[in-house]
Amino acid sequence: MIELFNISIQLGKRQVLEQVSLKINKGEFVYLIGQTGSGKTTLLRLIYMDVFPDRGNVIVDSYSSSTILPRHVPFLRRKVGVIFQDFKLLPDRNVYDNIAFALQVIGAPQRTIKSRVLSVLTRVGLHHKRYQMPQRLSGGEQQRVAIARALVNKPFILLADEPTGNLDPQVARDILHLLENINRSGTAILMATHNYDLIRQYPHRTLVLENGNFSREINPEELA
Amino acid sequence: MRLLFLLKEGIAGFKRARLAATISIATITLSLSLIGMFALLVHHLSAQFQQTYGRIQLEVFIDPAIDSAQRQALEGRIQQLAAVEAVQYVSPEMTLQRFQQDFGDDLLTVLEGENPFPPSLQVILKKEYAELEKVEAAVEAIRALPQVDEVIFQEKFIRLINRYFFIGLIVATTIGATIFFISTMLIFNTIRLTIHSRKTVIEIMRLVGATHFFIKAPFVIEGLLQGLIGSLLASGALWLMSDLLRAFFLPGLTIPWMYFLFLCGTGILLGLLGSYFSIGKYLKF
Ligand SMILES: Nc1ncnc2c1ncn2[C@@H]1O[C@H](COP(=O)(O)OP(=O)(O)OP(=O)(O)O)[C@@H](O)[C@H]1O
Ligand SMILES: [Mg+2]
Repeated sequence: MIELFNISIQLGKRQVLEQVSLKINKGEFVYLIGQTGSGKTTLLRLIYMDVFPDRGNVIVDSYSSSTILPRHVPFLRRKVGVIFQDFKLLPDRNVYDNIAFALQVIGAPQRTIKSRVLSVLTRVGLHHKRYQMPQRLSGGEQQRVAIARALVNKPFILLADEPTGNLDPQVARDILHLLENINRSGTAILMATHNYDLIRQYPHRTLVLENGNFSREINPEELA
Repeated sequence: MRLLFLLKEGIAGFKRARLAATISIATITLSLSLIGMFALLVHHLSAQFQQTYGRIQLEVFIDPAIDSAQRQALEGRIQQLAAVEAVQYVSPEMTLQRFQQDFGDDLLTVLEGENPFPPSLQVILKKEYAELEKVEAAVEAIRALPQVDEVIFQEKFIRLINRYFFIGLIVATTIGATIFFISTMLIFNTIRLTIHSRKTVIEIMRLVGATHFFIKAPFVIEGLLQGLIGSLLASGALWLMSDLLRAFFLPGLTIPWMYFLFLCGTGILLGLLGSYFSIGKYLKF
């Protein structure tokens, strides 16, 4: 599935990660916590190969960071969904087109695009808002659109970088509920977060990044 | 299908970033109009220059005792020289008349009815022989002919003309190259801004796994269209300008159709390369 072997990476002058190893199994739900600047975002970027490690190796599905050809990176990204705190929707297209865009730019045929977009819209509960523009949606709805876009290509894992960072507690819980649903249907989830309340309410395996390394794997009840 | 999508995206890019696209097109139009105008002016002036000064004229004074058959034979021999375009006989009477026109009837009084001018031949050299060494060679060849007394040509004038033409050419080329360089930079930069304003789209395309080809194609198509529109507008502007100039300042101004071809080619190429290289910056992996 996903495996990091002794990863070290420096960005600018800063040694962000040092000798990090980690394994995420098929269909797992994993939280990633740690202080700001501890390297959570960097770890996620390593997985979708936005950055490459200086030492060590990242294995994602059948791809390995040490041997992958640059022209194969897009094909790896089709198997890995990503969502962010700031949603990253295109403001000049409606909900449907935002999601369809993800399939159009990988050259999917028109027929599959329509059925896939409509089905994923139903899944995130936004079928009725498919012709709305993103600005007219609430934060929670926008994140659902982003989730739909990340899922439309049927990835085996969804990487979420503080997906609830901009959302009210109740809305955050709704998003977590949705993510758990998605997880139950087989998609693995790796979520970086600062929100310990959420982890306590929806407990899963939790990794702590400290000093550029995994200091421990903790029991969610331990969280202060 | 894919091609259709890429084309649609490329064209839609115009509507999505209308201001940026307008600025790009305006920049291309202005730059290319400037380049076109400058090239046209240089072309016109150098053609005029050649027309006026490019044909060197020699005065060949001949033996006054020459009879008309001998003279015609001499004319024929001169005409046969490779450098010579035309030979014309100028009789002493014609010379006198010319002087009379210039200096008035007083001249006749001074000369007391005598005509002191020898017969001469006016020799015009071909355009390609406008350089000093070639002129000198032609003069030597004519001097060597029998019954030729003296050949006069304006050495200093030729030197001057040659030098100014050369300097003019260098100055024009330098200015032209500078305008071209600045225009290219300007066009590249505005295109870069256009693309920068859409870095979110590029980022999303990367994240969802679009290949570099798919990410680049709409931008390259858009750049190409901007180049095409800009150069068509510039061609129109150039045509209008040349019409105005012809009407008011430069009656002989003509504009070869190659110019429009060149403008369109340059516009398309700049738009295409500009977007291709700008987008590269956002696509490491
Ligand atoms: N491109 C870069 N150049 C230099 N330093 C960088 C770069 N990217 C990240 N860093 C640094 O690396 C460290 C880890 O960054 P990262 O974004 O992975 O942390 P994070 O755990 O996601 O933090 P946060 O909780 O604030 O999102 C930070 O100190 C950051 O300043
Ligand atoms: Mg982060």
